[in-house]
Formats: sequence, structure tokens, C-alpha cells
Amino acid sequence: MKPFQYIRPESLEEAGAYLASERSVKLLGGGNTLLLQLKSGEESPDILLDIKHLPGFKDVRYHHNQGLKLGAAVNLQHLVMGLEIRRHYPLLHQTAQKLASPQIRNRATIGGTLAWASPVSELAAPMLCYDAVCHTWSPRGRREIPLAEFYLGDFKTALADDEIITHVHLPAFPNRTYGVYLRQTVRHDGRRMIAAAAVLAYRKQQALTHWRVAVLGVDNRPKRIPEAEAVLEGTPGEDDVQQALHIVQENIHPEDTDYARADYRRVALNALVRQGVMQVIQQLQSMRS
Amino acid sequence: MKHEIKVNINGQLRELTVLSHQTLLEVIREDLGLTGAKYGCSTGECGACSVLMNGEVVNSCMVLAPEADGATIITVEGLSDDEELHPLQKSFIDHHGVQCGYCAPGMLISAKALLNRTSRPHEEEIREALVGNLCRCGAYADIIKSIQVASRARR
Repeated sequence: MKPFQYIRPESLEEAGAYLASERSVKLLGGGNTLLLQLKSGEESPDILLDIKHLPGFKDVRYHHNQGLKLGAAVNLQHLVMGLEIRRHYPLLHQTAQKLASPQIRNRATIGGTLAWASPVSELAAPMLCYDAVCHTWSPRGRREIPLAEFYLGDFKTALADDEIITHVHLPAFPNRTYGVYLRQTVRHDGRRMIAAAAVLAYRKQQALTHWRVAVLGVDNRPKRIPEAEAVLEGTPGEDDVQQALHIVQENIHPEDTDYARADYRRVALNALVRQGVMQVIQQLQSMRS
Repeated sequence: MKHEIKVNINGQLRELTVLSHQTLLEVIREDLGLTGAKYGCSTGECGACSVLMNGEVVNSCMVLAPEADGATIITVEGLSDDEELHPLQKSFIDHHGVQCGYCAPGMLISAKALLNRTSRPHEEEIREALVGNLCRCGAYADIIKSIQVASRARR
């Protein structure tokens, strides 16, 4: 690693002043990606701003009407262990359990993981399903970016160069939801993803509503397929499921890699989404009304 | 850039001068002379450098030394109590959890982190806890058995 200045800013304003300076600055969260880039020489910033200690960045707050607020420096292991996550956002808990390894989860931050914006970001799948919103700060003020508009593809995000994610907000979700995250990867720790899908819905009397279908590994960004979700509203039968699967296929753009060809990714995703949708239907219909 | 940091390492408070671009692993091995944690992949995949940082297992090759300021660190050297080996260490010896031994310090640290929160883990929980630790000898079955036996003995 080339030498750099390591700084723990005490306020967003202080961080903003460094970001506005002439010197090259990188924000440090858990460092799981950034340290690789520093070691390889791909990145050699003048200054590293460790923003994990900014006020409120490790806060977790749940309110039954307002939902969940997760500070940007909350680690991914909290999504595995946190009681409010297990109880109210089980799909987030379920997905987090599969993420990388305990070593990586203990360090990785929610803000850093979202900002890295990998097309196979597994955190993105449940976050998209739960309508997560990124709250940010920059010298120009604060703003809110719905996660569905956050990913621009190929690791690019809607964040400006001097913009910092402060926290992520998940609206309150009804209790009678069921979600499932399914993936096919070469490695058990999630590396070398072929395809993955998160599917979630809510049972309202006899109808299944609020469908969510999020997919990974089959496009240049994590994304939901709203057109397929719309087809599943109500009480979906086999024809509706078929149609939803068809729409998913029309809305993805998988690419060949050395370990999975694009057409195989399509087949894998199709199986995962079908399994996910069937599982959600079965679980919700067997719930006592 | 130099930093003065304070670290509690295996129960001892140490004040150290470190560089911004040193990793915690370098400091532990080279400045503190604790060579239990190993250099492995240097990319956070193999877990040979695992240590407990504030009670949670991390790859020390993926932590910058100044980030550890104020932290409590436990390395494999800190598991044993004076001359007495930790039950996990004894069990690794008795049940062949150590083949070449390179992954063992990291395996022991991950196992310790697991036992800290679950006194009697199921096999599946042990496997999940070891996802971040690779063993090139392929001694996983004996490692898992070693941890299982140690957790039962603790009762």
C-alpha cells in the first residue's frame, strides 16, 4: 500500500471539507473492497476518511409505524443478529446469513456495501424488496434516494462525488409478509454468483399483494422487475406465474463469464424465481386468515 | 503518516506507533511479535489472519492499524490461560483438527467467536461459523469434530 493520511472526521462538515479539497479522498467503511484496491495499487488516495465513527452512523432504530433506520456504518452482522431485523424484516435477516463470511460481515458496513454497487450485491436484493431509501448528506444539503433509483449499472450510483450515505430507511412492513432469497453461486460464501432472486409478498385477506421480485447476477445492476410483480397481484395461478417468468426473462441482460454463460444464467434465474414465487404463494396461503 | 494508538491485546494495554498504511496483521506479527495469526491470501478470503476485535472475528489483514485504536484484540495466543491450553486447543490436538496447522489459529478464533455466543452449537452452526476459514489440507471434518467435542466438554 502507498502511504496515505488516515483521518477520522468528527462531523459531516469536516468530512465534506476534505472531500471538497484538491487532494484525492476515499471514504472508508468496512474496507473489504477498498483495502484490496489499496493493496493492488488500483487506488492510491492522499486521504482516507474513516467515516464509521461519525455521530449516528452506528444507530439502529425501529418504530412500528415509521419503520427501520439503519446508520450507514452498521455492520452486516447486525442484520443477522438484530432482533428487530429478525422480527420485522425476516428477508433481510435470511439474506444476511448467507452473505460472505462472519469475518467479512463483522466489518462490512451497510453504507459501504450499497455504495460499492456491485451488480451481484446480495444486500441489495432484500433492500429493494423492502423499498429501502438511502439518506445522504453533501455540502449542498441532504437528500433521499430510493434504492430502486440508486443503482445506475456497472458499479455506478446516483451518489455525487462528495455525497455520503448517512443512513438507510426501510418503511414499516405488514407482518403477514413472506419472503425468500434463493441463489446459485459457485462458492458457498457467495463468490462467483450465477444468479439470485428475492421474492416477497403480503397476504391481505385472501389476496396476495405487494409482490416484489428482485434479481441479481443477470444484469449490470441489482434490480426489481415491476412488470412481473404486477402480473402476480391477487391470487396468481400457473398462467400468471408463467407470464411473470416470461417478463423477467425479457427484462434481464445477462453476460458471459468464465464460470457461467449468459444463457445458463437465464435458466438458473428462471428456476430460482419460479421456486421463490411458488414458495411465497404456498407459505402465504397456508397462513391462518 | 504516524499514529499513536492504544490497543488492548490479549489482556495487555499497549501503546503503539503505527503507520496509516500498515495492517493490523502486520502490527500484531511484526511489532508485537505474536506470530499465531498468519499471512494467507491477504484479500479476506482465507481467514488465516483471523483475530477477535471487540469480541467479533475479523480478518486482521483487512483492518488498517489506525482503525484498531481503542480496540480489544484477542489472538490465538490469548486463548490459553497462562500455561493451560484452551479446551478448543486441547480438542484440536486430541481429534486431529490440526494437519499442517496453517489455518488452525484462524479456525480456533472463529470457533471461539462461535462458542462465545452459542455454548453448544449444532454441526450446521459450526460449518456456518467457519465459512471464512479455508483449510488447504481439507481437514474440515476433524476440525468440526474438534469444535463439537470441545463445546460438549465445556458443559
